[in-house]
Amino acid sequence: MARSSVQFPEPPSRSLPLPSPTNDAMYHTYRSDLSQVRALVLQHAREAGLTEGRANDLVLAVSEVAANTLRHTQAPGTLAIWHNAEEVVCEIHDEGTIADPLVGRHKPSLDASGGHGLWIVRQVCDLVELTSNANGTTVRMHMALRPPGAGD
Amino acid sequence: MDLLTTSVATVESGSEPYTLVELVGEADVTNSDALREVLDAEVAKQPRTLIIDLSGLRFMDSSALHVILRANRAMDRQGGVVALASPRDPVAKMLRLTAADQLIPVYQSVSEASAG
Repeated sequence: MARSSVQFPEPPSRSLPLPSPTNDAMYHTYRSDLSQVRALVLQHAREAGLTEGRANDLVLAVSEVAANTLRHTQAPGTLAIWHNAEEVVCEIHDEGTIADPLVGRHKPSLDASGGHGLWIVRQVCDLVELTSNANGTTVRMHMALRPPGAGD
Repeated sequence: MDLLTTSVATVESGSEPYTLVELVGEADVTNSDALREVLDAEVAKQPRTLIIDLSGLRFMDSSALHVILRANRAMDRQGGVVALASPRDPVAKMLRLTAADQLIPVYQSVSEASAG
């Protein structure tokens, strides 16, 4: 189920840079091992206090975005994770470029051969920010630690 | 150890045999080609029923889901049936979210799946 993003400010335009991660963010560079990426996200999400179901949602979202790095770029990608009292944030940056600003906004047909990744990301995360330009793509995924009225 | 291991068996049940493919580990974009090869080979043998046991699968991404959906379409075309058995929570969530569970029947266990 899509969650409302009302508790967050409007995401910036996709052409503007996002504010920097916090100073205590953990960074990890990946080339091919998505299992390690998932393990890091799960561990951090649990430590931050996300419920098991929402931690697994975040793992799925990050894995889908990181999979795009492997599909569409030759260079490694970078994962950054941080959290504060309100939320856990995972950010994936790679050298790919996304041309479609509405990517993942519409549910693809199950007959399609691909294209579910970013749609899934938008379904499971509380807020997704995406910036893409000639220097690469950054996808920032937010999960609130105490979502309003949300169970698992 | 491999991220994803697959094992295939032909099971002689009471009424008719079925093909059982067991997936253990994590299925993602890095091993979806290998998964496709395994499923394609089994689909090519034209079984009536192909059951995929998901009980040992800790993670499935959209690449792996597409491979399973592709096998389901191929089985459907040749008059066979695919069934999924005992997905863990993260995998069940993925099937529900994408509505893949509306296309492919999901059962609590292999024995339930084989009973249809």
